[in-house]
Amino acid sequence: MAAVAERSTKERLFSVLDDLEVLSRELIEMLALSRSQKLPQPGEDVQILELLVQRDREFQDLMEVARQQGKVHQEMQLLEKEVEKRDSDIQQLQKQLKEAEHVLATAVYQAKEKLKSIDKARKGSISSEEIIKYAHRISASNAVCAPLNWVPGDPRRPYPTDLEMRSGTLGHMANLPTNGVNGHLPGDALAAGRLPDVLTPHYPWQSSDISVGMLPPHHSNDFGLEPPGHNKENEDDVEAMSTDSSSSSSDSD
Amino acid sequence: MTPSCDVKYMRLKAAMAVVQQKLEKEREECSLLPLVHDIIKCMDKDSQDVHQELAKLKTKIQEAREQIANMPGIDSSPVDQQQQLATLREQVRTKNQLLQKYKSLCMFDAPKAS
Repeated sequence: MAAVAERSTKERLFSVLDDLEVLSRELIEMLALSRSQKLPQPGEDVQILELLVQRDREFQDLMEVARQQGKVHQEMQLLEKEVEKRDSDIQQLQKQLKEAEHVLATAVYQAKEKLKSIDKARKGSISSEEIIKYAHRISASNAVCAPLNWVPGDPRRPYPTDLEMRSGTLGHMANLPTNGVNGHLPGDALAAGRLPDVLTPHYPWQSSDISVGMLPPHHSNDFGLEPPGHNKENEDDVEAMSTDSSSSSSDSD
Repeated sequence: MTPSCDVKYMRLKAAMAVVQQKLEKEREECSLLPLVHDIIKCMDKDSQDVHQELAKLKTKIQEAREQIANMPGIDSSPVDQQQQLATLREQVRTKNQLLQKYKSLCMFDAPKAS
C-alpha cells in the first residue's frame, strides 16, 4: 500500500489506463465470442464489467487528482520564481554589505592613522605663540618675502641667506658645513642686523636630533651663537658658495 | 436576508451549479464507459458501426495517454508534491524574513522586495 502511495500520479494513470484498455478489450471479445458461439457466460462478463466500471471510476478520480496537481504545480512555479527573486535581492544586499564593509574598514584604518598622528602631535606639542614668534622673526629679516619697496641694489635681501639655507633641513641633509658663514654677503643679513637673533633661539620643532644626527661630530648646531667671522679659514669658500647659492636662487627665480 | 443578498446568493448558487456541471462534464470526458456502452449496443444490433466505435475507443485511449504524458506536475505523488510545496513556501518565508531583517538593520539603500 505504501509502495502505491509512493508511485507518481502519472504512473498510476498509465497503469489504470492500461487496465481499462485490457478490460474493455476482454469484455468486447467475450461478448463477441458469446454471441458467435451463442454461449452465455453470465458470471464472468459481469465480473469484468464491474472491474471495468471500478477502474473507470478510479481513472476519473486520478484525472481529477492530476488536475489538482497541475494547479499545485502552477503555484509551485510561482513560488520558485519568488524564491529566485528573493535570492537575487539577497545577493544584491550581500554585495552592498561587502561594499559597506570595505568602506568602513578603510574609514577605521584612516581614523586609526589620524588618532596616531593626533597622539604624536600631543606628545610633541608646540604652542602657537612660539610659532607666531618664529614667523615674525624670519619675516622681519626679509628672509621669506622681499620688502614692498625693494629694488635691485637694495641691501635688504628678498631671499634666504646662505647661512639660513645651511641651517635648514635641506642644508643638514646635504651635510654642508655651517661654521663661520656669517658675513658672507656684504650688507644683507648683517645690514638688517637681525641674523644672529633669528638663529639664536632654539624652537621645539627645530629638532636637535636631526642636526645632531645629520651633522658631523665636529660641526656644532649652535652656529647662531658664534660671532661673525669666527672661522676665517672657510670664509673665502663660503663667500664663493654663497655667491653660488645666490646665483642659483636667482636662476630659480 | 435583504433582496440584494438574496440576489447575490442566487447568483452564487448558479455559478456553483455551472462549476459542478463543468466538473461532471470533465469527468465524463475522461470516462471510457460511454464508448464501451456504444460498442456493446452496436454489437447487440449487429450494426456495422461497431468497427467505427472500436476505432473511437482506441483513439480515445491514445488521446488519454498523450494527455497524461503532457500533464504538468504529475511526476510525483500528491503527498510528495505537497511536501515540495511546503518546502518552497518555507523558503519564501525564510528569505522574506531575512530581507526584512536586513532592511530594518542597514542604513544604506536596500532593494525593494516586492
